[in-house]
Amino acid sequence: MKLRNWSLITALCAVSLVLGHAAMAHHSTAMFEWGTEKTLSGTIERYEWTQPHTFIWIVVPGKRGKTQEWGLEGMSPSWLGRRGWSLHSLNAGDKVAIVYYPLKDGRPGGFYVRVTAPDGKTLEALPTRNQ
Amino acid sequence: MRRTVVPVAWATATCAALLSACGAQSPPKTPSPVSPPAVASEASNPYAALAKLPDWGGVWDVTFRPPQPGQAPPAQPKFTPPYQKQWDKFQALNKTQKGLNFVSEVASCIPPGVPQSMIQPYPIEFLFTPGRVTILIETEGLTRRIYTDGSPPPENPDPSFQGTSVGHWENDTLVVETSAILPETSPVNGINGHSDQLHVTERIHLVDPNTLEITTTRIDPAVFVEPYTTKAYYKRHRDWKIMEYVCEQNNHDALDANGNAAFSLKHKPGE
Repeated sequence: MKLRNWSLITALCAVSLVLGHAAMAHHSTAMFEWGTEKTLSGTIERYEWTQPHTFIWIVVPGKRGKTQEWGLEGMSPSWLGRRGWSLHSLNAGDKVAIVYYPLKDGRPGGFYVRVTAPDGKTLEALPTRNQ
Repeated sequence: MRRTVVPVAWATATCAALLSACGAQSPPKTPSPVSPPAVASEASNPYAALAKLPDWGGVWDVTFRPPQPGQAPPAQPKFTPPYQKQWDKFQALNKTQKGLNFVSEVASCIPPGVPQSMIQPYPIEFLFTPGRVTILIETEGLTRRIYTDGSPPPENPDPSFQGTSVGHWENDTLVVETSAILPETSPVNGINGHSDQLHVTERIHLVDPNTLEITTTRIDPAVFVEPYTTKAYYKRHRDWKIMEYVCEQNNHDALDANGNAAFSLKHKPGE
């Protein structure tokens, strides 16, 4: 996991140097703890296959039977669609584990990095060493 | 009787003109013993000239390419004092925070301008038609029209995000000159804004069968003390299609009232 992150960061720095631009998203990632992986598990409420970003709404079990809704942004449908994802990769009711970069301000949100579906398959949602 | 003279004369003249235009009055032509050429000449068919242009088919995705052996590392831009201050602030942020630290209105769905629109994380596509190259950019669904018919650029065009472009071919290299770029756009990652003097030259050519190189030079005396040149590389994907991109569909990343990066957890309207 750590190697993967360093690889991404190194690649981004290199891209930034060569292009004079970090080709990643249409915005800064200043609101996220970029590179700090956290994990949550829950039930998909809705998967939005939308521009400029896909969005996962997921209900996460909390203390004393309470639940909390989380919102996780991801890469765009065009980017993910070219790398094995589709509109139907996640469906309401799916129980999944998600690795994400959290928001800095502590609200229940972040940017999703990879998702493990109930069948055990993991889908990568950010560039890895092989991409 | 008199009343009918004019309509009859008119009808006769009109029919004669129509028949003439249709060639109905011409005698039947004898078939020529010589077959017509398979490809029409450039004079009669301007599309014929396109066959001489390089194959830039497919879709192109900007990619990282490490400096080649013997190649100098990318040069750092040299800024005028006010822009140097902005650059230093951006560099300091990069040292202390991971991730992408360039905050711009693009987060709020304002499109990037030339030249930054060419290095977004989504692919681009080239279309060749007579006297024109069109670049379709997936990000924001942007279109660049580059006139290559030799006509001079218009005088005093209104500034726009993609500016006003003319181009010409130097063998297999397309050279594009762009000006009249909106001053609120970013001339380079880390810098917001420039003057109305920004002029961008792009030299676009294949460096191997599936790699396109774009060398971009920016000149703006208000921002750069000398021309600033970068290179970007694009990988060809013949099987990709440019997709629709509507930034306002579900944007959670619009800047806050103070122009800082922000993230909204509001649901889409109606959900």
